[in-house]
Amino acid sequence: MDIFGDLLMGLSVAITPINMLYLLAGAMVGMIVGVIPGFGPSAGLAILLPVTFGMDPISAIMMLAAIYYGAMYGGTITSILLNTPGESATVASTFDGFPLAKKGRAGPALVMQAVASFVGGTVGVILITILAPMFAQVSRSFGPPEYFLLAIMGMLTLVVMIGKEWKLGLISALIGFALGTVGVDLETGQGRYTFGSAELIGGIYFIPIAIGLFGLGELFFAFYQGLHKTGSGGIIQYENEERFWPTAQDWISTRMTMARHSVLGFVVGVIPGAGATIASLMAYSTERSISKNSENFGKGEMAGLVAPETANNAASSGAMIPLLTLGIPGSASTAVLLAAFLLWGLRPGPLFMEQNPELAWGLIASMYLGNMALLAISIFAIPLFVQLIKVPYRVLGPTVVVICTLGTFSVHASFVETYLMFAAGIIGFFMRLYGFSPAALVLALVLGPLAEEALRQTLTISRGSFMIFVERSASLWIIAITIALVVFLPLLNRFGKSAGQAEKAGG
Amino acid sequence: MQPKREDKMTTTNESQSGWVRATAIAAAFAVPAAFAAPAIAQEYPSADETLDWTIAFGPGGGNDIMARTIIEILNTYDLYPGDISAENRAGGSGAVGWGYLYAQSGNPYGISTTSGSFVTTPLQADTPWQPEDFTPVALLATDDLVLVVNGSSEIETVEEFIAAAQERPMNIGGTGTVNVDFIVPTLFAQRAGFEFDYVSFNSMSEQTTALLSDALDAMVGNPGEILGLIESGELRPLVFSGQNTPAALEGVPTMAELGYDIGVSMPRGLILAPDAPAEAQEWWINTMQQVVETPEWDEYIASNTLTPTVIYGEDFRTFLENTKNGFEEVLRSVGAID
Repeated sequence: MDIFGDLLMGLSVAITPINMLYLLAGAMVGMIVGVIPGFGPSAGLAILLPVTFGMDPISAIMMLAAIYYGAMYGGTITSILLNTPGESATVASTFDGFPLAKKGRAGPALVMQAVASFVGGTVGVILITILAPMFAQVSRSFGPPEYFLLAIMGMLTLVVMIGKEWKLGLISALIGFALGTVGVDLETGQGRYTFGSAELIGGIYFIPIAIGLFGLGELFFAFYQGLHKTGSGGIIQYENEERFWPTAQDWISTRMTMARHSVLGFVVGVIPGAGATIASLMAYSTERSISKNSENFGKGEMAGLVAPETANNAASSGAMIPLLTLGIPGSASTAVLLAAFLLWGLRPGPLFMEQNPELAWGLIASMYLGNMALLAISIFAIPLFVQLIKVPYRVLGPTVVVICTLGTFSVHASFVETYLMFAAGIIGFFMRLYGFSPAALVLALVLGPLAEEALRQTLTISRGSFMIFVERSASLWIIAITIALVVFLPLLNRFGKSAGQAEKAGG
Repeated sequence: MQPKREDKMTTTNESQSGWVRATAIAAAFAVPAAFAAPAIAQEYPSADETLDWTIAFGPGGGNDIMARTIIEILNTYDLYPGDISAENRAGGSGAVGWGYLYAQSGNPYGISTTSGSFVTTPLQADTPWQPEDFTPVALLATDDLVLVVNGSSEIETVEEFIAAAQERPMNIGGTGTVNVDFIVPTLFAQRAGFEFDYVSFNSMSEQTTALLSDALDAMVGNPGEILGLIESGELRPLVFSGQNTPAALEGVPTMAELGYDIGVSMPRGLILAPDAPAEAQEWWINTMQQVVETPEWDEYIASNTLTPTVIYGEDFRTFLENTKNGFEEVLRSVGAID
């Protein structure tokens, strides 16, 4: 396998001026989406999907991917300056990020988070470069039985990782599965719950649901919490600090932290259903337990900021592996990325990299460049994002509503989907209020039909026998890994969550 | 000329009564057409009228590519005097876009391209229109399928495949159910006398993956999408459903050559709104005769591995009716529709 040749070819695709422009635009938008609290990458991606319609597929995919991993950079700025995570994946970054800022070290914290994000992201892309072709090779032995098991693995991991509230997570997932049954049944061709409506033949598209749940739902919740009343008074001023750049000590003390959590984050990202939020919480608690200065965690320890920041970026790279080589999204945001591929008539899967080498390697090469651009943006454009944080939420809120509506309507120019989006927004608010999991709902809506179809295909092939799942060696492996994950992840998770809660209480 | 137009307007409004949105759209089109009528009555098409080209699917799909190819050819060769406005009106597997065209009954400036869903969507949903309601211009090409097995399979020829399937039922994968992918192997199996289990997938690449992982015995698919894998020897083509084997599949027999002619394929054609004036239909037939002669069209056919099958006017209507009836019969017999 000539990885370097492929990568160089990808670079030549990615580096055209127009593609670089879209890449920068994507990185910028990703940062902005990350900065706005309650407005995550999944909603941001979904809304910007229609904007890419007139573009080249490669430019579009590069730009959307940049939004996806760029949000991980942006989300931390508010975590540090405002103690409000811009993203669920940057919650762990508030634990030490905000105390650092309070100590008058906001500048170094911002720079270090950018560097940590860059290291995590870049190590992640290097691992993608090496591992994706291997994964694609392995996944060529995957047929319907394996796809069914993988979808189940994704849902199980997601529910298990929710932790204490797993029952609410399970209910959310079941609602998603139920919505996923609408549309023409693939096997018999009969309409299910379509009420003869042509709009519902294709089923309930998950993009309006995702925009509703993550865009409007989160927005309503932010208003409910009174975010529109709190001005930006709480924002920490960093301009007058004596030192903007990190000290040598900051660099030296965190180099191993970055190395460790690049790998850990990546591995967690590859697991369907886990993802960046879990990776960052896990990284924080692991780092604290192995650190010599564990008593300083939560009081402004640089390693406590660097660990989750490295991990969440590495995880968002890791999640690209199942997306590209299996076509299975592990999270709501990768599900939207998958939708983007599909809109372009590209179907990620075992054959994707082989059949679309320019696109696949162009995307991978663009991620190296994107991470570099994001490193520069997130250090030198900080004043710009601080201005954005200062925009009052009462102005930002209505803007988000308009963008969500326009974004949904422009995908299919469908009123039904726009109504669905508003309904999902209201439901999303109540889900947040009562602790349900919108992410589980969206992922189930995507994985549910996939699992159902794969199961029925499997049983048609095996003529009704479930033995097919143990007769194929690939299936057996997946079952073994799923069992291992379901047993071990909750242990790690409990460890991560309790550490997080302790810090919250203490800080 | 003018009374005739008025006439058409009335029929439009009557046939659509109750369907408020459709009527509103129809009226919006009928009124300017009526005002403009005296000036342009002599000639079709008028350079002052914008051609309203409906693409019933989103950008990038097969229907979109075909429509934009034709428009490009019309513009390159200056075949259409006025402006052409192409709009993607996606939704409901084509029901929205073709419903929009249906509501413009009698308007000579509403046009659209067809694909497989043009026949299958009305069978699945309560669309107010049927394929034969529209004014047919031409069938330009058909999408045909090739039956393939895994390159490592012991089955080398279609005769061996049929013999093996008669001994032990095979499973054959395809995309969708209310679809030519299901109809073609069903009719082929009936004619050749074997049984099989149909496994439906959402996309070509999913079913290809399933075949390569040895979960499936065989599958049908559009040759264009799997040509690379056929050339690399990972998939082995056995038989082709169209009338002539495309150059890329040289040596592969057609079903008709084996004596199992099935006579169905997906129509890629051009239609006008229902009851469009005869001179509009005629003008478009003449124009399309020029379009299919261009090298650009040849390139489109080749790069999408379509079978060039050209039928004009009322023959196209008959073709659509036959295809629909054939589909309906097979789908009803297996209980996919009621």
